[in-house]
Amino acid sequence: MNKLWMHAIANIRKTKSASTTLVIMFIIAALLLNAGLLVTINYGSFFNNLKDELNPSNVYFALPDKIYTNEVKSYIDKNKHVKETQTNEGLLLNANILSKGEEKSFAIMFSNMDEKRELSKWKYVGEHLPADDMSVYIPDIFKAVSGYQLNDKIELKYTEEETKEEKAITFTVKGYTEDIYFSSSDTGYISFYLPEDTYQKVRSILNRPEYLTHVVFANVDNVKNISVIESGIRDILKLNSSSLMAADPSTMMVVIDLELIKLARCMMATMVAAMMVMFSLIIVIVCLLVVRFRIVNSIEEDVMKIGSLKSIGYTSRQIILSIILQFSLIAGIGSIIGIALSYPVLPAVSAVFEQQSGLKWEQGFDGGISGAAFFILLLIVILIAFLAAHRISKLNPIHALRGQTTVRKYKRNHLQLEKAFSNLPLALALKNVLQSMKQNIMIIFILIAVTFSGVFGVVMYYNTTVDTKAFAEVPGMEICNAIAVLNPEKDQKETVKTIEGMDHVWKVQYLDEVKVKIEGTEAVTYVMDSYDKKETKLVYEGRYPKNKNEITLAGILAERLEKTVGDTVTVHVGEKEEQFKVVGLSNGSQMGGLCASILADDYVRLNPNFKHQSLYIYLDKGTDAEKFVTNLESRFDKSMLLSAINFDKGMEEGMASYQKVVALMGVAMLVITLIIVTLVLYFVISSSVIRKKRELGIQKAIGFTTYQLMCQMSISFTIPIIIGVVTGTLLGAFYTNPLMSVSMKSAGVMKAGFIVDQYWVIAFGALTIVFSYLLSMLITWRIRKISAYALVTE
Amino acid sequence: MANIILKTNKLNKSFMSGTQEQQVLKNLDIEFYEGDFTVIMGSSGAGKSTLLYALSGMDRPTSGDIRFFDAEIGNLNNDKLAVFRRQNCGFVFQQMFLLDNMSILDNILASGLLVRGDKKSIVANAKELLEKVGLTEMIWRKFPSQLSGGENQRAAIVRALINKPRVVFADEPTGALNSASGTAVLDVLTDINNDGQSIIMVTHDIRSARRGNRIIYIRDGGIVGECDLGKYVSGDQIRHEKLKTFLTEMGW
Repeated sequence: MNKLWMHAIANIRKTKSASTTLVIMFIIAALLLNAGLLVTINYGSFFNNLKDELNPSNVYFALPDKIYTNEVKSYIDKNKHVKETQTNEGLLLNANILSKGEEKSFAIMFSNMDEKRELSKWKYVGEHLPADDMSVYIPDIFKAVSGYQLNDKIELKYTEEETKEEKAITFTVKGYTEDIYFSSSDTGYISFYLPEDTYQKVRSILNRPEYLTHVVFANVDNVKNISVIESGIRDILKLNSSSLMAADPSTMMVVIDLELIKLARCMMATMVAAMMVMFSLIIVIVCLLVVRFRIVNSIEEDVMKIGSLKSIGYTSRQIILSIILQFSLIAGIGSIIGIALSYPVLPAVSAVFEQQSGLKWEQGFDGGISGAAFFILLLIVILIAFLAAHRISKLNPIHALRGQTTVRKYKRNHLQLEKAFSNLPLALALKNVLQSMKQNIMIIFILIAVTFSGVFGVVMYYNTTVDTKAFAEVPGMEICNAIAVLNPEKDQKETVKTIEGMDHVWKVQYLDEVKVKIEGTEAVTYVMDSYDKKETKLVYEGRYPKNKNEITLAGILAERLEKTVGDTVTVHVGEKEEQFKVVGLSNGSQMGGLCASILADDYVRLNPNFKHQSLYIYLDKGTDAEKFVTNLESRFDKSMLLSAINFDKGMEEGMASYQKVVALMGVAMLVITLIIVTLVLYFVISSSVIRKKRELGIQKAIGFTTYQLMCQMSISFTIPIIIGVVTGTLLGAFYTNPLMSVSMKSAGVMKAGFIVDQYWVIAFGALTIVFSYLLSMLITWRIRKISAYALVTE
Repeated sequence: MANIILKTNKLNKSFMSGTQEQQVLKNLDIEFYEGDFTVIMGSSGAGKSTLLYALSGMDRPTSGDIRFFDAEIGNLNNDKLAVFRRQNCGFVFQQMFLLDNMSILDNILASGLLVRGDKKSIVANAKELLEKVGLTEMIWRKFPSQLSGGENQRAAIVRALINKPRVVFADEPTGALNSASGTAVLDVLTDINNDGQSIIMVTHDIRSARRGNRIIYIRDGGIVGECDLGKYVSGDQIRHEKLKTFLTEMGW
């Protein structure tokens, strides 16, 4: 065995640059594989562990004081589906907080941290200080994203409901918290925990009933019954008649269940992990192809050495074993370094997740997963090395000593020079291409794989940085610039006309969200007078409703109901029900994808009390929505304009963390693609130069210049590169959206429609080809060292 | 008096062997003439191949001048030397050094098409030369691995001639061939020399040396003797004896 180690290490030393290249490739593959597996397997279990620790309830109902009546309280407490409840008081405030030099709005819930909790507990994250005057314990996201440090002042600016006066409350940060429901503003409220005395002070500052809320945490017998309970509360409060976009915030009930939270908290991690694992698998395949190529080449190069080893008594098994050992060592070293490097990289990945989920995921060393990643890589390399090196057993020692496998038996004379075109280097390059089909097929496959990943990266980057329209459509909302919530009890005609006539407004239309039951399943339903004017088209099959009793279902809802275009569904609102024909399927992630779209006339029949109240306003490009909203608020009385929402700002803030992660992933995939292309080409071309040393020496002797040979060789590599890049680019352009549809299905995106900008994709493909050609020229520059004289003297 | 095609002036060539410098050619002054079949002889390590490759621009001298006709070639860079070789030199090596991945005809055209010219005439010339050395169309379509050593070496001679070189340099052209194949190759070289082709050949084979009209003997990097045999005539016993006597004097 010692001798075999000796041979393996000697071979690695002899081929230092090739071995180093392979080690680097295995580092990248192992890094991505280990990180991807850790995120895939551990992020979900991290959430589950946190659940076990903090004991969140199955659902919470946030009921403003005005609607938290005794009847409601009694209904919840006595409901047969409710197993246990815990009610906590909270103060709700929409406030602006400075984050990275910019004011951002948050829906904050102040909670009394000294209140006893058995359900939905919270915990400190990292260091915390004892409370003093106006202390606050804020979600860890404010440290991760906004950079608030201990003892920093945090100012909450808000508009006093009654007086419309700008006010501020300032706290001192004393620690950071984490809980399941209120850690991120993505889902409902974000919670600020205050000591008893501070809470009471804030309660006296916000001394109005609309700020006071009651959070009922409830465990239920079956999560499916949450919608039943919610319906019951809505029935008691007669909330069905109004839009979900509450006209009066003091009557807005918020219901968030644990499943939705898990989906929201883990969605990003699931998506990123899927992309990482997919990408790492591509790189692992590339590594294996290169290992096989290297072994086959080294057998050809070292055939005389193999012959001499056999002649002095080494068995084929021993020689094969030394080769397996050589590549296992390379793969092993690369994998260990890659796995080790993935741990310092993970906190960066975790920090990105934290910005979106508000949960601090700390991944320590996981021997099981890392060991599995290591052994998976090692075993595959051993298998490939064995299969590639197996031909050694068929090698006759005498033939090997004569170097006979190095002389390939050419049978077909492709592209005879007599008949070929006149450009000699090009003709010889094409000849080489046709004679090295196996190698070229390998290059084509590698380039297809990495270019596909590269295009995927380009598309992701483009959609999150250059044109974010398609990315913004992912949540399934109609995208406008501002929303005016009008009083449904008043005649809105004049107001709508005035808004439509305001400067920079090019369109207004009503779009309301209501809750209905479709085949017994509660669903958020969009209500519009006409879908023709809808700007964000989310239908991927069929169309939006046009005629009476037509409905479009979100893909997830349609799958759950096992309905498709052409089927009929029953829609219930209260006691009324009607049959609707499914005319389309759409993307949509609201309420876990349980959403639908119907016409206003149809909904009015089901709910005669319904009146529009959410007016979507579309502004000219470049118009400042913030200024417009301020202008809107100043022009209309509070009795008509209940609230005005800056949709642009909300969208920007909501998408920011997602955009950042996906853009980062896109850039990382692009960079890794280029690194892999560089490494593979360096590896294959430099191996080729060594293998063709004799041929190149002969050509130099008969008068070829170094430049001619460089061109000849680079062109011969550029041809499979072009085929690979063009195929990979086309596959990337056509399959990025289907692939994203699979990874984003849980987010309600059944058919992703990311923009595949042809110019960007073509530019990427063209640049990859140009880059590869220049790289080939650079690598083949080493041909200058091959001398014709060395050929005859060797 | 024939034209001087190659002339060296104080030609030196040394190699580094570890830390020690080994001087192979020492202040060598020699002239080569147009139309001659010059044979360079000497024992192993005498420097004959080193001289051949320095003269042909395959390698550079350590010092001294090499003038090819009136041009100095000793100080040309690698690419200029490559162009010089393709335009002026033809090579016949002991190991043939044909390109394994090309047919015999393509091997010749790969060299011929390097020098710009009419493709049709280059192809026609290649075929004519192949036929002249006894290689039929069936053979020139084959790959080197499918032919005998003698056939390959004749193909290599055609490759050397395709660009109408001013000098053909041959390094032990029969060294790897059996007797019959060797004779056939030497006949081809004699024929082309009779047609006016200048040849400089290195050999330590007396049968091959007999084909030359001028024999130069090298020892320890310097010329120690020269013999004028006149044009080769088959079966000329006097010529053969003259060569033997010369080589005996040289300590062969």
